[in-house]
Amino acid sequence: MASQIKLRQVDEYRWEIPREGKMRTRGLIFASQKMLSKIRDDQSLQQVANVATLPGIEGASLAMPDIHWGYGFPIGGVAAFNLEEGVVSPGGVGYDINCGVRLLRTHLQRAEVAPRIEELVNALFSNIPSGLGSRRKDLKLTVPTLHEVMRLGAGWAVKKGFGTKEDLAHIEAQGQIPGADPELVSEHAMDRGKDQLGTLGSGNHFVEVGYVLEIYDDQVAGALGLFKDQITVIVHTGSRGLGHQVCDDYIKVMLKAAQKYGIELPDRQLCCAPLSSPEGKQYLAAMAAAANFAFANRQMITHWVRESFEQVLQMGPKDLGLELIYDVAHNIAKIEEHLVNGKKKKVCVHRKGATRAFPPGHPETPAAYQKTGQPVLIPGDMGRYSFVLVGTEQALTETFGSTCHGAGREMSRHMALKTAKGRNIVRELAAQGIIVKGAGRATIDEEISEAYKDVESVVEVAHGAGISRKVAKLKPLGVIKG
Amino acid sequence: MTAAFRGPRKAKYRQLSHTADLGLRIWGSTPEELFENAGEALTAVLTDRRRLRLRHIEEITVEAPDLEALLVAWLNHLLYLYDVDAFLGREFKVQGLSPQHLKALARGETYDPQRHESKTAVKAATYHHLEIANLNGGWQATVILDL
Repeated sequence: MASQIKLRQVDEYRWEIPREGKMRTRGLIFASQKMLSKIRDDQSLQQVANVATLPGIEGASLAMPDIHWGYGFPIGGVAAFNLEEGVVSPGGVGYDINCGVRLLRTHLQRAEVAPRIEELVNALFSNIPSGLGSRRKDLKLTVPTLHEVMRLGAGWAVKKGFGTKEDLAHIEAQGQIPGADPELVSEHAMDRGKDQLGTLGSGNHFVEVGYVLEIYDDQVAGALGLFKDQITVIVHTGSRGLGHQVCDDYIKVMLKAAQKYGIELPDRQLCCAPLSSPEGKQYLAAMAAAANFAFANRQMITHWVRESFEQVLQMGPKDLGLELIYDVAHNIAKIEEHLVNGKKKKVCVHRKGATRAFPPGHPETPAAYQKTGQPVLIPGDMGRYSFVLVGTEQALTETFGSTCHGAGREMSRHMALKTAKGRNIVRELAAQGIIVKGAGRATIDEEISEAYKDVESVVEVAHGAGISRKVAKLKPLGVIKG
Repeated sequence: MTAAFRGPRKAKYRQLSHTADLGLRIWGSTPEELFENAGEALTAVLTDRRRLRLRHIEEITVEAPDLEALLVAWLNHLLYLYDVDAFLGREFKVQGLSPQHLKALARGETYDPQRHESKTAVKAATYHHLEIANLNGGWQATVILDL
């Protein structure tokens, strides 16, 4: 199914799909020559072109270097729409609304933790429900409480004693997307979410204990509180069943709305409504509610990460120093102010498998990072490494302040299972010093390293193109998988 | 039944490779059978269907603007039941089907991690490349799952 899309090389890292047919703008893909042959194998370039046909799109239909075939929008896709004629599309956010990543630092050195890593992984695994349909038996939320969670986001968790006020200052949008309206979230969605707050879920979600392997920028790393051989923790999860249901509910609304407003769709999954329409506004308010649920989810998990460390290492919070560096959303649509054709303008930026990467000095970059730029967290696969980057001015002017979000799969799950067949992946990783514990063998096999692009190649493109800047590389020691 | 396109073994469904996600190709001699087989295909992604016992029946009604959207609504409703009650269906029986309306029974049991295998988690059935076709007197559907 190789795509026949026309592509023109702009420079070493940029490729353009010229505007053609029903496209309202060009496509712009960030990739290396080597990555491109793989990208051409699937339909992701066609998806970039499809997004370019939607009304009110500003700038190019963008794709980050971890682009791969999604449904509707490509994964790694970024598109901004003006508030007058532009649209909002639930498919441009995805089912896992506010799937995201947070990074914690510690006062601990690798040598202190490495001998205890197995115990630590076991503690994390028993304290944080994970796997297929994971739920919390100890925490079932009533409808009024769920509403509060969806309004307040991470702030709700902090109010209930799960974390500190200091945490909130280190989360995108302070852990609360404004304009959330829980009344617009269906009963079905709340049914799914009521015992899933504080759960990891399955698939590519994980909690990873790792250490700083390499530092590329001493000054910025210092400002982020990172040092070599330091123990770090990454949490990757989203809004669980609640978010999936909100997406599904509003795709149904948007299928009707697209017809009502006469929006021509090259793919039903791209269904959307004008940002100015009641349907568009309702989706944004419901999406914000689900996004806030996800922020609260990662905040609760962080609390249990801290508890697990305290249990195993018998140390207090002050000595552990498990502080939040940052928390980013990589499946989201946000109303932001950007410079469009030289004019300041509010647009709705869809980031589907893409991370916000705001530069130093931007009002939405948190106070602690005004000089460094907003931290960008790029998890890799469980066998290799993850990256910390910071946002740049180049990203702000070229990609609506966006960059890549991860490695991106290279192998289908079938191929991954085939590759893992007859091997003991858990034992292989243990031999490399990485302890992995998962609810099911299938998830671990599907998530083998070889199934992913080398995240370093993705990060090199983002860094090379200047849409973010490398700060540090982290190596896993212990991982819990859904 | 003359649905030769399903191959000699009359498969009910097949999983299709998709880089990040998973496609399902489902067959049935009637639209009713197509929906029943789709239920089985979805359960088979989540767990080993054969280990589920027939201990509980769920009555399900879903509505959608057309037959293709109805298939997505059906699969997403089954995922909803799984999230809420950990219910997984092993067998499905369509009791009434029109392009906008489906009434069906699902027989199965509550997922128990001790007893049942945890395979691949599914976030949702999507509308991307969604297709139902009437071929050679049989029915074929393609649906892509977001994992």
